[in-house]
Amino acid sequence: MVVRVRLENVWLRYARRGQWALRGVDAAVEPGTAVVVAGRNGAGKSTLLQVAAGVLRPTRGAVRDRPVVVGWVPERFPAHQPLDLREYLTAMGRLRGLSRRAAEAAERGWSERLGLAPYRGVRLPALSKGTAQKVGLAQALLVPPGLLVLDEPWEGLDADARDLVPELVAEVRAAGGSVLVSDHRGETARLPGAARWTVAEGALAAAPAPATGWVVEVGVPGPDPAGAVAALRAAGHEVLRVRRAAG
Amino acid sequence: MSRTGPPPRGTAVAGHPRGGVGTLVRLRVRGFVRTGRALAPLLTALVALGVLYGGGQAPAGEAYGVSAVVLFPILAWQSALLLDVEPDTQRRLARLALGRPHREWVAGLAAAALTGLGLVALALAVPWPLAGIRGPQAPGEPSLALGAALGVWAHLLALPPAVALGALASRAVTRRVAVGLTVLVAGGVATLVLGLRDSALPWLGPPVMAVARAAAGRPEAGTVAALTLHALLWTLAATAGYAALRRSRS
Repeated sequence: MVVRVRLENVWLRYARRGQWALRGVDAAVEPGTAVVVAGRNGAGKSTLLQVAAGVLRPTRGAVRDRPVVVGWVPERFPAHQPLDLREYLTAMGRLRGLSRRAAEAAERGWSERLGLAPYRGVRLPALSKGTAQKVGLAQALLVPPGLLVLDEPWEGLDADARDLVPELVAEVRAAGGSVLVSDHRGETARLPGAARWTVAEGALAAAPAPATGWVVEVGVPGPDPAGAVAALRAAGHEVLRVRRAAG
Repeated sequence: MSRTGPPPRGTAVAGHPRGGVGTLVRLRVRGFVRTGRALAPLLTALVALGVLYGGGQAPAGEAYGVSAVVLFPILAWQSALLLDVEPDTQRRLARLALGRPHREWVAGLAAAALTGLGLVALALAVPWPLAGIRGPQAPGEPSLALGAALGVWAHLLALPPAVALGALASRAVTRRVAVGLTVLVAGGVATLVLGLRDSALPWLGPPVMAVARAAAGRPEAGTVAALTLHALLWTLAATAGYAALRRSRS
């Protein structure tokens, strides 16, 4: 069942007299869509993602119609656990209600797909940062999610895995699920058609006014435009579109 | 890396998994043991019990009653240690995977109770090779069987409140080690003080001391029932407090 996830007047602070990390957020995520959550460091992006996923409970307001199955990929996968990769993913599948056999099959499938097969018997603390991030990705997808929340999913991933993230997002969308994703590196340019939320001081900022002035088409050499996109945004420019050069 | 599409068919879409709670219980106990965190409370219990029974023999009910009092703070500490093994982010991932927030903390309490039962079994077994328990020597003394049964009762009544106290001292609630330690120590001291014979507010703490006094004699059925009810109600109240705090803290 696909539903429209709604955040209704969501406020959150971490301590009773602390500063508000989220202020009056009203937003909705349509089924089958992706939303890029942008904003400066400390703006409240991760907090917003975690509230949407159900990891954090709002101090005021509510999140309505969250799907039954939610996949959350945290910014840093908690690798300091006394399990090997196979044990961990199988257990997470079991936590989601899969039978042992189904959980083992899901673990094998995702290990294969994300290039984790050589590490199945390796203890989580011994994994590299990028490999651990892939485990974080896999655990969120063991059961197809109605809402997939990705917090900086490209961080630490190799080029192949970075290319896979948009593919995974497209699969979730095609199945009617919703996707929320944050990113610092400009990788979200790889998500064409994604809506954009900008978080500033805990609130959703109004969508930027359409660009006035000039539109300059820039050719970026090399296989990966993410760095160039990030640099242009950091310089204050609005990146309207990213496309492959013809030919 | 394969790009052959979604995972294999046959993976059932999960609803709300009851079986997941059992998996999380096993996972947490396994983590507690594999990280070696189980050693400290185990060794502490062995040392405490060794000191307790090394000084001579006592009737079963009296010996086990004191043993339950000694074990109470160790059980609470062990529960807090177990609940703190899992990284905070993993705890949140588990909560999300289980689908309902209460399933995650119920699994934690169950894991703590399971490991607590292990320590209780140890405490019940230790006095025998150390010859720390004797049979009745004077007329009117309770039989060995009665004393042993009361001893089991005393330990089983110490376990649930200890688990609840340990949960209230865990990182998920207190967020800082110093605060957790304060809760553990204060809870343990308060239990002892409130349980003293002439205490004005004995009902405010778990009846660990009262149970120990009862186990040393021949308590009436009404006393056993009242103390059991007291222990269970205290545990219920402490667990409700824990549940409320977990709702408001991730």
